[in-house]
Amino acid sequence: MTQFAITVKNISKSFGKVNAVRDLSFEVEANACYGFLGPNGAGKTTMMKMLYGKCTRGENGGGSINVLGYDPANNELAIKYLSGVVPQDNNLDEELDVISNLMVYSRFYALPRKAATSRIDYLLGFMELSDKRAARIRELSGGMQRRLVIARALMNNPKLLILDEPTTGLDPQVRHLIWDKLRQLKRHGTTILLTTHYMEEAFALCDTILIMDKGAGILRGSPAELLTKNVEKYVLEITGSQTLEAIADDATLQKVRIDRTQETTRVYCDDDQLLSNLAGRLEGARYFLRQSNLEDVFLKATGRALNERQ
Amino acid sequence: MKDNRSYLYPPLASRLFSVWFRHTRVYTKNIFSNGLPPFLEPLLFLAGVGLGLAKYITQSMEGLTYIEFLGTGLLMTSAMFTASFECTFGTFIRMEFEKVYDGMLAAPLTANNLIIGEIIWAGTKGFFFSFAVLCVLTCFGIISLPRGLLAPFIGFFTGLMFSVMALLVTSFVRTINHFNFYFTGFISPMFFFSGVVFPISNLPAYIRPFAEIIPLTHSVRLTRAVCAGQYHWYLLLDMLYIIVFISVVGFFAVKRLKKRLVF
Repeated sequence: MTQFAITVKNISKSFGKVNAVRDLSFEVEANACYGFLGPNGAGKTTMMKMLYGKCTRGENGGGSINVLGYDPANNELAIKYLSGVVPQDNNLDEELDVISNLMVYSRFYALPRKAATSRIDYLLGFMELSDKRAARIRELSGGMQRRLVIARALMNNPKLLILDEPTTGLDPQVRHLIWDKLRQLKRHGTTILLTTHYMEEAFALCDTILIMDKGAGILRGSPAELLTKNVEKYVLEITGSQTLEAIADDATLQKVRIDRTQETTRVYCDDDQLLSNLAGRLEGARYFLRQSNLEDVFLKATGRALNERQ
Repeated sequence: MKDNRSYLYPPLASRLFSVWFRHTRVYTKNIFSNGLPPFLEPLLFLAGVGLGLAKYITQSMEGLTYIEFLGTGLLMTSAMFTASFECTFGTFIRMEFEKVYDGMLAAPLTANNLIIGEIIWAGTKGFFFSFAVLCVLTCFGIISLPRGLLAPFIGFFTGLMFSVMALLVTSFVRTINHFNFYFTGFISPMFFFSGVVFPISNLPAYIRPFAEIIPLTHSVRLTRAVCAGQYHWYLLLDMLYIIVFISVVGFFAVKRLKKRLVF
């Protein structure tokens, strides 16, 4: 039988008139990495906060949440004790240096001083921050601050690590370092739940992805499954004003799916030969023939137009 | 999936202590700039009054010279001001700008733990600020020591009273500038109408009930009695007022502020 670290059933949550989360259900397997993918305002953060009791669940009473065997409404302390949380903002204590930040945080778990010191040494080494132990928070780069927040979340050796946009705004080196560390943690048995806007991140880390939009879960599955089930294999991206109708006959147009924005036309099809023939007929326009990726799935699922919450 | 480890989350006292510990660490990080002003301010005040104003006030007030009268009042106003600032601007900045509470609430603390830890911390600052004034008053021989040592403890409770009130106000405030109304409209009048600068018996009869309603009057009366060693039965009423005030206002402050933190 599969063990679930998190089970959420039919949860809704609204703020005033805004339905942040609508009737959402999902299950996260133990020792897996689960990702929420969705545009801004999709309800990803709200759903995460409900898991550790930072948000209360909707008042219409329906639904249930179980995290590591506990209901956040009754036992938030147990959940918080067993989990680590990396919030969207780096809320470190700016007045304190790196080591004091972690020492203060270790008190919240009532770690004895000696255990805390050795744990902190280990975590600084793990996140490659050992030479910054005496630095002030302001002297740290964005990437270092983010790594410090992750180190802080790992203080109590959590069974469940919750990360809200762990790598937004970071450079590629730091992103890859963080991804590596998250993979290591997963290999050692930590369950990981993360939100992200980055398709590569979801693809690189997650066993299962839930695509959310306007508070509801709209697609779920492994990255590979999402690709094969929901979108054609190849895309031809054409930049410029040339109309597709001028180069393609009706029979071809029947076989492809077209997605237009003002400057770009994307032609989706499972047959790359057909797309490459089409590209050969383009005169002077810039084009790019590639395999489709999660971003294509995402745009197809959530629609291209911005909604009022983005 | 349950295991025993999960029942080892820290007990209540440890959780409250950890919040208090966090605030203490941040406060003492800049010990010089944070720790010196509480000593300098009463020094300045007493110098100004002692060198100038007091010469004109020869009448004794409630049996004390003016400098003794004012000095015992300052023991409490310092606690009032520090707790009020800590739990208005301080709390608001931690909550809305620095997002410190978001980080803390990811650790095994409930919102209630966090807010009550905040209140205890403000009480501690009240204690420390009263203590600083006491040091200055003692140096100038305005207060005789063994008796005066009780004043910082009253300062602690004064800190609690003003922190719960400040937190209640903070729970309503949406932009930080609104605190100006609280300080101008409530804290400043408290300084003049609660028997710090002159005895409330000198107030017009229709204002006196008002003086009895506001919290500072009761701390000041207690402190003065303790410092002068003159105890009356009605001081019990002042103590009762302080305890009821902290419990009732504290209850609503925690309840309302919790909704700002967990929503």
